[in-house]
Amino acid sequence: MPKLMIDDRKIEVAPGVKVIAAAEQAGIVIPRFCYHPALGSVGACRLCAVKFLDGPVRGLQMSCMVEARDGMVISSTDDEAVDFRRFVIELLMRNHPHDCPVCDEGGYCLLQDETIAGGHAMRRSMGKKRTHRDQYIGELVQHEMNRCIQCYRCQRFYQDYCGYRDFGVMGSASRVYFGRYADGALENPFSGNLIDICPTGVLTDKPARFKGRRWDFQRAPSICIHCSLGCSITVNARYRELVRVEARRNDDINGHFICDRGRYGFAFANHPDRPRQARINGRDTSYEEAIQTTTQRLSEIARTLGPDSIACLSSSRAGVETQMSLKFLTRSQGWRQPGCFVDRSEQNSVTAAVGRLTPERVVSLGEIEKADLILVIGVDPILEAPMLALAMRQAQRAGAGIIILNPQPVSVPFAYDHRPISPDDLCSTLQKWTRSISSQTRTESHFVEKHEEYRGPETPSVPCPLPPVDSLLQNSRRPMIVCGTNIVGTAIIHAAADLARDIHSDCRFPGLFYVLPGPNAFGAAFASAGGKSFSDILPDIETGNIKALILVEADPIFQFPDQERVKNAVKQLDLLVVLDYVPSRSVGFAGQSLAEMVSPAPLHVVIPTLTHFETQASFINQEGRLQQTTPVHVNGLPMSQLTGGKHPPRKFRSDVPGAGARAAWQVLSELEAVLSSTPADSITFADIWYRIGLAWNISVENRTEIPGNLRILSTTVESEPMTEHYRDD
Amino acid sequence: MIPDDLKETLQRQIAATDHPREQVMDVVFILQDRFGYLSDPLLEEVAALVGMTPLEVEEIATFYEFIYRKPVGRHVIHVCDGVVCWMLEYQSVLDYLRSKLGIDYGQTTDDGRFTLLPTCCLGYCDRAPAMMIDRKIYGRLTPERIDEILGKLR
Amino acid sequence: MQILFQNRQPDRIASLEEYRNSGGYEALTLALKKYTRAEVQQLALDAVLLGRGGAGFPAGRKWMTVAESAPFPRYMVCNADEMEPGTFKDRVLIHTDPHQIIEGMIIVGYSVLAEKGIVFIRTSYENAARIMEQEIVRAKEAGFLGKNILGSGFSMEIAVHRSAGRYICGENTAQMRAIEGKRANPTQPPPYATEKGIWGLPTVTHNVETLACIPHILRHGPEWFKSLAATPTAAGTKLYCVSGRVNRPGCFELPMGTRLSEIIEDHAGGMQEGYQFKACLPGGASTRFLPKSFYDIEMDFDAMKQAGHRLGTGSIIVFDHKTCLVAATLNMIEFFARESCGWCTPCREGLPYIREILSRIESGEGCNDDIPQLRRMCRYLCNTYCALAPGAVSPVESLLTYFEDDVQEHIRQRKCPFK
Repeated sequence: MPKLMIDDRKIEVAPGVKVIAAAEQAGIVIPRFCYHPALGSVGACRLCAVKFLDGPVRGLQMSCMVEARDGMVISSTDDEAVDFRRFVIELLMRNHPHDCPVCDEGGYCLLQDETIAGGHAMRRSMGKKRTHRDQYIGELVQHEMNRCIQCYRCQRFYQDYCGYRDFGVMGSASRVYFGRYADGALENPFSGNLIDICPTGVLTDKPARFKGRRWDFQRAPSICIHCSLGCSITVNARYRELVRVEARRNDDINGHFICDRGRYGFAFANHPDRPRQARINGRDTSYEEAIQTTTQRLSEIARTLGPDSIACLSSSRAGVETQMSLKFLTRSQGWRQPGCFVDRSEQNSVTAAVGRLTPERVVSLGEIEKADLILVIGVDPILEAPMLALAMRQAQRAGAGIIILNPQPVSVPFAYDHRPISPDDLCSTLQKWTRSISSQTRTESHFVEKHEEYRGPETPSVPCPLPPVDSLLQNSRRPMIVCGTNIVGTAIIHAAADLARDIHSDCRFPGLFYVLPGPNAFGAAFASAGGKSFSDILPDIETGNIKALILVEADPIFQFPDQERVKNAVKQLDLLVVLDYVPSRSVGFAGQSLAEMVSPAPLHVVIPTLTHFETQASFINQEGRLQQTTPVHVNGLPMSQLTGGKHPPRKFRSDVPGAGARAAWQVLSELEAVLSSTPADSITFADIWYRIGLAWNISVENRTEIPGNLRILSTTVESEPMTEHYRDD
Repeated sequence: MIPDDLKETLQRQIAATDHPREQVMDVVFILQDRFGYLSDPLLEEVAALVGMTPLEVEEIATFYEFIYRKPVGRHVIHVCDGVVCWMLEYQSVLDYLRSKLGIDYGQTTDDGRFTLLPTCCLGYCDRAPAMMIDRKIYGRLTPERIDEILGKLR
Repeated sequence: MQILFQNRQPDRIASLEEYRNSGGYEALTLALKKYTRAEVQQLALDAVLLGRGGAGFPAGRKWMTVAESAPFPRYMVCNADEMEPGTFKDRVLIHTDPHQIIEGMIIVGYSVLAEKGIVFIRTSYENAARIMEQEIVRAKEAGFLGKNILGSGFSMEIAVHRSAGRYICGENTAQMRAIEGKRANPTQPPPYATEKGIWGLPTVTHNVETLACIPHILRHGPEWFKSLAATPTAAGTKLYCVSGRVNRPGCFELPMGTRLSEIIEDHAGGMQEGYQFKACLPGGASTRFLPKSFYDIEMDFDAMKQAGHRLGTGSIIVFDHKTCLVAATLNMIEFFARESCGWCTPCREGLPYIREILSRIESGEGCNDDIPQLRRMCRYLCNTYCALAPGAVSPVESLLTYFEDDVQEHIRQRKCPFK
């Protein structure tokens, strides 16, 4: 472990660490443009110059290009280093357009920060500035090349890190140009990260263009809910409108980046048709009346038809608090246990996967990058968990082999070993490998070396003969098994877990990684334990055994394949309550005026809820990691929708327009309180977590702030036995 | 755009190498010699031939000096502006060419015969001043010699 | 003593027969049949064969860095991308006696077991490229290339790769990227080219002149090679190019360490009538100006280094007293600014900035602040990613060191005093 001194601070770092990273560990941030922890060192910008005063290296050197070694004495504040950095800034600013007033990077701009920090303020050059023509690179990223300082971060990210080949660097000398061959949308599903990594305003957020400065925004750390990975994001809002999302560094999960779906998929929160007012039979009403009417009818149905005639359904996108509040409600009233899945097989798959994750075998997305062999079963990464594809690419760049078992090839940005196995044979093949591995002892071979021959983005296909998967698994040091839950059945999910369990006994790292359908599918598995999926309760609705249905951030009217059947069934209900924050089909159905409906007149109630941007909400990602969001702003009608894009009204009012919604768990807690005749106004977030803690037998010290590294696994928390509902599959 | 027989020749040539990408320059030169310059459709065909994306070919085409991405005349005159030629009558050679052809750097004569471009030291300093036309070098240039050289190029 | 030029004839290329008659390909037979690969490497090392491309790295040591366990195929690259302004020795050598280069390549190839030979040649040397292609075919027909060369079990093929044109392609690592069909940006070790070069495989690159020396070293021995030089620490002969305002510009093979004055006066025919020697660049445009006070300097790696200069390619560009050195420097900076690969900031942005200031001074719009600003830039442009910018500022820095008065005069007179 090299020991060295940087700016009079003694530090000890791991071998191979560059001086710039070593300094950062000691809390010294050396200025940089081209260096990025995820993209590595390339020595292009020359801004990270420091002075080596003593030790094996001497003089002015780039801290990103020199490995930290024993005995180094380094100064980042040495006069020559400071003056050299000022010189580099002066050179970079020579051609910069100085258009900061109209540049969206303001507040995010590393170039501004380094320019001021570096002490450069006067442009001495009298020459003309270089100009470029910008390109149309799609609706997500804005391109303004004149601001470029040629750090090559974009090209390195796009081509090397992501493996896409339609954006790069053209020209030479002082005319290098970063862009595409021709105008057109970027093909990379991670292209939005260009905005985060560009140190100046060349690549900026196009949908957020001119919507405000960083310091105008309300900002909060949050979690992406577009797939089960639960990537960390930072959310920006202004005037009650969500404006932009950025990647938030989380080395356990997403590293520095997020996918474009996560970055740009927030329009639902600003949706003009978003439910903002409670409705009863298509008529706007107060929240209080909605609660009162609902509880009255629920009591009536329970009294007359029995508690078993009331069914509740939540979803895998609802937060833990909401899912569990629904569970507490049903329990307190003796109703049927709530479900969280529309489809029975999905519930079975998720339950199976959650049941098989153990602390020894579960791995985070961040650990996927460290695998030396990844076996992918029944999952299309770009589609189901985009950042998984990026993590696998990093593993592959570091030498890992990737085997994808799929009937058809999948589209991923890295070379892989495709084993087309028909769905019918998949399970038996996995079982065969497990048996062969269990019966054999480990033999020495060199998997990694063998695979080096065919990696690299230029070689999408695999030329050399394919070695048997079981021996590859057996001889790898850090094998990981990635398994989907969407198209494969429970048998394969179990077979994958068995394989992970039985990979040779001396393997230190048999990782198991499931991809689940939804940001809180994991929580849904707990919450729906003992409950049934929508497809299982539908016959009871059709036969009239169920007369009241409460949908909590669930949309079976859209999700169930036979929509006509669902609609006809739902029409027979006495009471349909829909809690949601999006204008879903179910909200639309329940929000219609009843004139259009068949008699006898049922009661339809819509109660608007809050998104995870407006309330604290917890989600458990596919590896069991419990994460919480922080509200970024109060819910309400966005200013742009209130005024039609004009100036905000010049009169004051005491309430926020369109702010009638409450968190779903609050609504459910209130329903429970009213039905149980207990006081409702005292129920807090902490109260909910107290109850969840009791239910799961976990101790959460600070019940409003749960640590990001808490894993909730079926083997570590107590929950009701989760059984899979095998019936006809 | 590329005739089938030429395409087959190129495909054979590419197939003979371990890394198709290695052949990209050679293919571009062959096509440029035939078609004058690397037009967008040609560039896209090159990309397909060597298994690169058009962007990847463009990254290279715009990096190197002797790949023409814009139309040029039948003969491209590269006048050496290296320091030795500069010392030894480069300016008068250039002035003579400019007035004789009626074009400046970066332009093509109206009859499409000549394009005039500068180039760095050609490595014929012992025969300065020099120029290169169609990858052939002409040294010890004088107005008379330039007349004679250009006269032979149609 | 003509070694590399032993078969030099006016306007003729030595044929394979002529080369063989003068002892050609005997060294290859020796290498393959008499010496072990380690002995071949040791001979080059003992002969103090320093790279003739400009850097002066010991050739034998380069081969030794190719590990025995290194993967195959390995590459042997002949760097004929001679783009240093004022330099044309490689062109002359190929046009004189190409087979000694081919033989040199095969011997190096054998010593590191490189089966793939590539001659990387600049665009403007199309003639030389054709000569090499033609002579490679003849060498193959004679059994010196191809499978199982001279029954040794060693096989090698050589291909000619034409550059699409960029000065930076002459840089070893950039050249490897160019061969791969990529943008020619240099890369910094580690890994070294001899570990991971072209397509990640071991690659040994040598300049044309270096390769041409190798057969002679093998045939006559290291001691003989060292004795060819004019100075005790140097070895071999050197191809000196002379261009500029001299009577007989050309390429001359002379003992390494021959005095500058002797090269100019005796071989290049002295200054043209009416012109006096003012300065020269001793090794192409990326070396420092040598003023008259260095007129008798011994032109070898050591002597030049001791004097604070660089031998570079040994290509002497002679400037006379009527030529404005500010304008000459501006011309060279223009060249370097144009040829920067665009990778790192000081080179990409700094060279155009120097061009801006020099051009202002030359046109009479310079100011006194310009000189310290230029000095600062020359100092800082030495902290670049590769050696292009440090070379590029050599003329500027030495202009300010030896001819500051000329620069001052431009500023004082508000015009170029040479016009």
